Amino acid sequence: MRTMIIREFGDYSSQDSYLYDLAQQPVKDCTGCWSCWWRTPGRCIHKDLNEFYKEYLKADKVTIFSKLSLGFVSGNLKTLFDRLIPMALPYIEYSTGESMHLPRYDKYPEIEVYYEGEFVNQDEELLYKDYLARVFYQFHISLNLVKPVSDYNGGC
Amino acid sequence: MKTIIINGSPKGEGGNTHIFASHFIKGMGMSCEMRCIVKEDYRSLAEEIENFDSVVFIMPLYVHAMPGIVMKLLEHMKTLELGNRSMGFIIQSGFTEPAQSRFAKRYFEQVSNRLKYNYLGTVIKGGAAGTYLMPDNMNKKLFTALEELGSYYNKTGQFSEKVIGGFEKNYQMSKRAAMFQQFLNKTGLGNMFWNSMLKKHNAFDRRFDKPFSRTIKGS
Repeated sequence: MRTMIIREFGDYSSQDSYLYDLAQQPVKDCTGCWSCWWRTPGRCIHKDLNEFYKEYLKADKVTIFSKLSLGFVSGNLKTLFDRLIPMALPYIEYSTGESMHLPRYDKYPEIEVYYEGEFVNQDEELLYKDYLARVFYQFHISLNLVKPVSDYNGGC
Repeated sequence: MKTIIINGSPKGEGGNTHIFASHFIKGMGMSCEMRCIVKEDYRSLAEEIENFDSVVFIMPLYVHAMPGIVMKLLEHMKTLELGNRSMGFIIQSGFTEPAQSRFAKRYFEQVSNRLKYNYLGTVIKGGAAGTYLMPDNMNKKLFTALEELGSYYNKTGQFSEKVIGGFEKNYQMSKRAAMFQQFLNKTGLGNMFWNSMLKKHNAFDRRFDKPFSRTIKGS
């Protein structure tokens, strides 16, 4: 099984995993140009994630170590999410009763998220989980789990 | 009451968010400080916001929430000690149904509480992707509503429930609307906006490209 680790904290890694360290390599912000949908389909004007995209699509499972920021995903991780839109098509379909982008690729990795940090109340925790579920649902990706990092057991 | 408008679009003054902001300010009937995050330093902009009684963030919906740059600005803002300042949000999406912005709306209330600002509310407008492409007469209803929002805000310091309610009229897509859209897709009339832009950029033939595919092209 091919795996990938995206981390914002800690030194989590694995010999066989591709590692993207968001703390060391912040991602360039999406410019909103839509080139990835209507000029160079599937390709962003920024090149900084080209290797990431390739490895991401090769992986069967991606583990994200997310550092909570104001009770939510951090700006750095949010920018990475913004930069996932080349993975989808601009086209929208409505069979589920709401607008959904069609996938560009046939297969995506499964995702698991371990977070570090505290929520000040249950609403924050609920929203963080609802939000992640929604993001990966929209990208046609299965989100297997969202847990505090204290529950991480080395990915076995 | 001193207000600063923060444009949270990565496109700055070149996108739909700027059009929204301009009409909100026009409705206010007075000049108003407006800044584009994309042109500023996060730290100094966050500090500058502290000089105002009220801050209104206007932005596009990106992946079900605020664009990354808006979150990065929020991360630079200090939690207030006195609860005497306000924060409000206007978010516009390409998706037709306002419900797509529901996660952003929930978060904006939470982050206002976290930073100890009075929460003015979140105004959601769906179906706004083409605003900048459309002639002004087709945007007339939208502009009138945004100006009413600005005028009401200037008088009361609050967002107009009437305008919010008007924008949220078809909050979720009705079953009938979804079926109709799906029918348009079958006839090829759906997604016309995307196809015309793809053709304009000579990219229509490449629209389904998979440049980072795990399989090698042609194999």
